[in-house]
Amino acid sequence: MTTQTRTRIEYVDTVGFGADVGGRGFHIPYDLSIRSDGRIYVVNRSPKHRLGIRVGICDVNHGWYHEFGSDGTGDGQFTEPTAITHGPDNRVYVADEGPNRITIYSPDGEFESKWGETGSKPGQINGPAGLKFASNGDLLVVDHLNNRIQRMTPDGGYISHFGSEGSGPGEFNLPWGIDTDSNDNIYVADWRNDRIQRFKDDGTFVDSYGESGREEGRFDRPSDVAVDQDGFIYVADWGNQRVQVFDNSWNFIQSVRGEATVSPWAQEYLDANADESEARARFDPFIEVDTDDPHEVSSRVEAYFWDPTSIDIDPEGRLVVTDTLRHRLQVYQRISE
Amino acid sequence: MTLTPSRTNEQLVAHLLRRAGFGGTTAELNHFLSMSYEDAVEELINARDTTALPQDLIRRYHVDQSDLRTRPSSAGNWLYHMVSTDAPFVEKMNLFWHRVFATGQTKLIQGKVMDTQLRMFRDHGLGKFDDLLIELSKDPAMIMWLDNQDNHKDSINENYGREILELFSMGVGNYTEEDIKECSRAFTGWTVENADYMAIKMRNNTMRPYGYINWQFKFDPEDHDDGEKTFLGETGNFNGEDVIAIICKQPATATFIARHLYHYFVADELPVPQWPHFPPLNQAAIDVMTSAYFDSGHSIKAMLKALFLSDEFKSEESWNARVKSPIELVVGTLRLAGGYDSPTFDVYKHIDASSFMGQDIYAPPSVEGWMGGSDWISTGSMVQRVNFASDLIGDLNRSGVLQLIGQVTSGSSGSAQSLVDSALQQLGYLEVSDETRDGLAAFATANVDTENPTNEQVAALLQLIVATREYQFV
Repeated sequence: MTTQTRTRIEYVDTVGFGADVGGRGFHIPYDLSIRSDGRIYVVNRSPKHRLGIRVGICDVNHGWYHEFGSDGTGDGQFTEPTAITHGPDNRVYVADEGPNRITIYSPDGEFESKWGETGSKPGQINGPAGLKFASNGDLLVVDHLNNRIQRMTPDGGYISHFGSEGSGPGEFNLPWGIDTDSNDNIYVADWRNDRIQRFKDDGTFVDSYGESGREEGRFDRPSDVAVDQDGFIYVADWGNQRVQVFDNSWNFIQSVRGEATVSPWAQEYLDANADESEARARFDPFIEVDTDDPHEVSSRVEAYFWDPTSIDIDPEGRLVVTDTLRHRLQVYQRISE
Repeated sequence: MTLTPSRTNEQLVAHLLRRAGFGGTTAELNHFLSMSYEDAVEELINARDTTALPQDLIRRYHVDQSDLRTRPSSAGNWLYHMVSTDAPFVEKMNLFWHRVFATGQTKLIQGKVMDTQLRMFRDHGLGKFDDLLIELSKDPAMIMWLDNQDNHKDSINENYGREILELFSMGVGNYTEEDIKECSRAFTGWTVENADYMAIKMRNNTMRPYGYINWQFKFDPEDHDDGEKTFLGETGNFNGEDVIAIICKQPATATFIARHLYHYFVADELPVPQWPHFPPLNQAAIDVMTSAYFDSGHSIKAMLKALFLSDEFKSEESWNARVKSPIELVVGTLRLAGGYDSPTFDVYKHIDASSFMGQDIYAPPSVEGWMGGSDWISTGSMVQRVNFASDLIGDLNRSGVLQLIGQVTSGSSGSAQSLVDSALQQLGYLEVSDETRDGLAAFATANVDTENPTNEQVAALLQLIVATREYQFV
C-alpha cells in the first residue's frame, strides 16, 4: 500500500503591531530578510510623518532588538526603501528606489557604504525593487524600471544582466521580488505580467507560470516569490491579497488569505487602553463582507492580509509574510502529512 | 442652437468644457467642435472613464494610497483621477456632491471611507436622486460623520434625520420639527459593523494595533423602530427607504437640488441659509431643471442635460462669471500642462497647493461645504493661485507644456497680436479684456521673437496669461 503525502501550510502566529513614529513595531513593512540565526530584519516604508521609516529587527518569538536607518538621503538613510537582504557575511543591504541606491550596513546596522547611479546603462539602476544574493556571492538586483535583473558585485560592480521590457519569455513588466532555489535557479515576480518567471543562474529562461485572474493558481500583480529548501514555491499574490503555494512543477497546493491574531505587542497595547480593549471584546473580526474586491475585503477584515508584499523563509522553514497595511508579520509553517 | 453673432461656437463649447469639466485642451475642444452642441452635451454627460491612472500603479509607488489613511493620501488619490480621467464631468459632479453632502476626514480620521463615499458618488451621482439618497444614508462615512450609529430605537439621535432634510434634500422651511423626529426614527438601526469599536478607534485616532478597519454599512433590525410614523403628511411604518421616497417626490426637493446645480454650474447663488428668504436668482433655469427632474423620474443627469441645453446656461452672461475653486484651478491647469503620466510625489505638492489656495478636499470647513464665489479670493490665495499656475505652465520638462507651446507657435501668423490670440485660444479660448490683451501684446512685442519664438519665450507669455485676472474665472 502506498501513502500519498499531502502538503499544506498552517498558520502559526502574528508578530508585531503598528508603530508609525518609530520604536518597537512596524509601519508599512515592505520587505524582510531573515538572518541565519533567525533574526528578522524588516524595512518599513512609512509615509506618516516619515518617522516610521527604518529597519526594525525582531524574531518570530516576539523578541525586539533594535532599529536603524531613517528618512533622508544622508549616509545610512533612505527615502523609498523597497528591499532588504543579507549578504553571506551577514552584512545588510537595503535598496532605495528614491535615489536609486543600495546601502550597506554592518550586521548590527551601522552604515558602511552605498552605491548606485541612476540610468539605464549596464550597472546603472532605475528603481531597485528586489535584492537577493546568489550562492556565489553575487548580488542580484531587480532593476524594475529598466525591466531587467542585474548581477552585481556586493560593492556595485557590474557583472551582467538579463531581461527587457515586454511580456514574452524572459521579458518583464515592472518586476518586483526575487528569490533563488537550492539549484541556483532564479525566480522573479513579474508584477505587471501577472506571472512568476524562472531562470537558470546565468539568466537563461527556464519557464514561466501564471496568468491574470482571481481563481486559485492565477495572479493579480504578484509582488514576491520565495522558494524553500524542498523547492516549494510561495507567491505573494499582492492584488489578490493572498499567498499561494505551489510545488516545484507549479502544481497548485494552497491559497491562504491570512488569519492574523493579536500579537503580544498588540495585546500590551490593548491592555493599556481599557476602552478599546473593552469594545474589542465585542468586535466581530469576520463580518460578512458585501464586496468581492479583494483589496476592499482586506480593508474590512482585520485578520486577512492587506497588501502582502514580501515573503521570506526562516531557518526552521517557517514562512514569514509582511502584512504591509496591517503593520505586522504573519507566520506560517509547511506541514507534510 | 442659437448663438449670439459676436461669439463663436468655439467659445460656447469652451464654456461647456470649463463648467462641465475642468476646461479643454485643444484636442478636446476640436473633438467636441466636430459635433453639434447637443451631441457634445450628450457625450460629455454620458462619458465613462477609460484613462484614469491605474490604481495598482499608484498603490505600488504610493503605498499610503493603498490604505488611504491620511488626507494627503486620499486627496492625492482623487487628484490623480481628476487629472487623468477622460470623463471629467463625473469628477466635476463628485466635487459637487462632496460640497452638498459635505463630509470631513478630519472627524472620520481615515480616508478609506472617504474614498468609499467618492466611489458611491461615481456610481450614483448622476442617477435617480432617490437611489443616491439611499446610498448616502447607507454610506459608512456619512453615518459616522453625522453620528447615526448613535441613533437607536429607544433613544433617537436627530443629527442625520435633520441634515438629510435641511442640507441634503429640501432646505429649511419645508418640514417641521416633528418631521425631523419621525425621519430620525425611520433611520434607527442604520449603522456600521462593529460600531462601538469603530467609534472608539475614531475617537482615539489610533491606527493601533493593526491599522484602520474600513467601515461597512449594517442594518440592525433589532435596533430599528418599525412603529407607525407620520412624515410630511403621510402615515405608515416607514423605514429609511420609505422616507426618502416621500422626500424625493416633494417639489421643494427638486427646487433645492436645482438651486444647488445652478449655483455650481451657472452663477453664484446666495448662501444656502438665505434660500428660505430669497427666491432663486434665475427662476427660469430652476423651472427647466425641476421639470426635467419630475419628467425623468428624479434623474440628476436629466436635470443637468436640461440645464446645459438651456438658454440660461448658454447665455454669454454666464461665461467666465464664476471664480474657479482652488481644485478647479489646480486640476484644470494640470490637465493643460499634461497631467500625470505615472505616479509622482508631485501629487502631494499639488494637493498642498489647493490647500494653500483655501480648499482642502475631503476636509470641508463645515457641514455646509465651501461657500465659493469671491470667498476663494484673498491677497494670499491670489498669490498662491498665480504662482501655482505660472510655475506649472512654465515647466518646460512637461510634455503637455511643450505640446502647448508648439500649438501656440504653429497657430500664430508671426505678429505679437497673433501670438497672443493663439495662446489664448490654446488655453481654452480664454477671453480677456482689451486692456489685458494690449498688455499681453506689449509683453510679446518687447520680449518675444514673434516670428521665431523660443520655447522659453512662449512659455513666458503663457505664464503671464495664467497670471491674469481672467484665468481665475470659469
